[in-house]
Amino acid sequence: MIDGIRVIDFHAHVFRQDSAGMKNDPALMLHAMDSVGVDVACVNHINHPDGATSNDLTVRFVAQHPGRFIGFAYVSPTMPQRIIPELTRAIDELGFAAIKVYSPTTPWALNQPQWDPIYQFADERGLAILFHTGPSPRAQPRYLSEIAPRFPRAKFVAGHSGNTPEERAQAIAAAQAHPNVYLETCSTFYTPGVIEQLVDEAGADRVLFGTDMPLMDPRPQLGKIITAHITDEAKRKVLGDNARRLLGDRTAVPG
Amino acid sequence: MTSLSFEPRVPVFDANVCVGDKRDEPSPCRSRSDLLAEMDARGVGRAVIYHAQTETISPIAGNRRLEDWLGDGGRLIPQWSVLPTADSISQAQTLHAQGRVRCVRLHDTRPAGLPFRPWAYDLLLSWLSEARIPAWISLPDADAHELVTTLQAYPELVTVLVGAHYTHALWVRPLLGALHNAFLESSRYEPIGGVEALCDEFGAERLVYGSWYPRHAMGPNLFYLHHTNLSDADLALVCAGNLERILGREAGHD
Repeated sequence: MIDGIRVIDFHAHVFRQDSAGMKNDPALMLHAMDSVGVDVACVNHINHPDGATSNDLTVRFVAQHPGRFIGFAYVSPTMPQRIIPELTRAIDELGFAAIKVYSPTTPWALNQPQWDPIYQFADERGLAILFHTGPSPRAQPRYLSEIAPRFPRAKFVAGHSGNTPEERAQAIAAAQAHPNVYLETCSTFYTPGVIEQLVDEAGADRVLFGTDMPLMDPRPQLGKIITAHITDEAKRKVLGDNARRLLGDRTAVPG
Repeated sequence: MTSLSFEPRVPVFDANVCVGDKRDEPSPCRSRSDLLAEMDARGVGRAVIYHAQTETISPIAGNRRLEDWLGDGGRLIPQWSVLPTADSISQAQTLHAQGRVRCVRLHDTRPAGLPFRPWAYDLLLSWLSEARIPAWISLPDADAHELVTTLQAYPELVTVLVGAHYTHALWVRPLLGALHNAFLESSRYEPIGGVEALCDEFGAERLVYGSWYPRHAMGPNLFYLHHTNLSDADLALVCAGNLERILGREAGHD
């Protein structure tokens, strides 16, 4: 909790990647969260294309730490027959709040029809989808400008807000053009002025705090928001209010 | 307790600030006064600065451009860049004779085909070691094996390894273990719990705050350091004291 705000990290994971120092150790994660007042982290697992294996690992992690984590469902178009059954199970049975997709580990850019069943599902349910966006040819945020108007009830969240300047501009343009596009802040780039740019150009209502924990420690990621030259009202929206609005009742994690 | 605003609670001495334009990238920080204003806004008292032109164009020419940024007041400490050529070493030695060298930054010669090996760097590293001049080395530009095997031949040479990223997660602990006079600069060291883990294993004496501004913002890493398990005494070391010691300066003495 920071200044009365329930802080929600919209972008975190529950897997490990040892070569990058990424440890899915809940004690480390909770210590880092508690050190700076992050109340809840939205977590996903993106390493198993069947979806179910990833989602089972996510739900187990969430259940072991009541009140601190929210699950996001993972599916991959590399196993298309699994998409709808697994999304239905993850949302209806496992209680996940949104969907995570990761196009760099697939052959398809985000505007290819292989992704449409996921977008359609989110559109029918009014769910948010968190995308990895960046310079990768399959993850360019400009694709959000194509798909967002086709699925107006779904909420499209550009993870990393494109990460680098050219792609960041694409992400901002998508958010400016489409009310259902949002920008998430985590990035290993600590370029000065990025948070200010996102808030100034897309609006504070459209920016979501994220960390990429445990690939990255959440504390410097939170530091980006706290040390940004934006208003306290904008910080409140970015740190929690916007995520609560996107996720609705599903932010009320069992505790 | 975290609030919506942040100010450091200990004196801050930034170990890694770049000034001036790169050939392909104008700096958002246009002047000395811009830099000082940014430091004031972030609660950074002093900074070690080097010129961007020294990274990819010419250490010798870039060092000359650095002069324009220094001014009075002692808040900006020059870091001269150097490579193992006679011209470059001569420039650094002339500055040293004038009492103006507190540290140097090694220019990356690997893209030009010159590895970081004793047979290529001996003249330079021997002089730095004998003159007790600490050297900053960019980890993203380095080869881990060359770094260790070369620096172990100069055990008195103090180095500051800058820009460690999560892609260097497997390097950092072995490097600090093998190089007892090496310090880690913090700008992009972001593995979860990484700061506490390093300080637990090697001591807070081995970590120095650096932002690598304007490549990275000054605030986020400083905020991070202030929200770890470090005691205020250790935090003060990381944020300024260790760097003062490395530069051979007494705390609070400009």
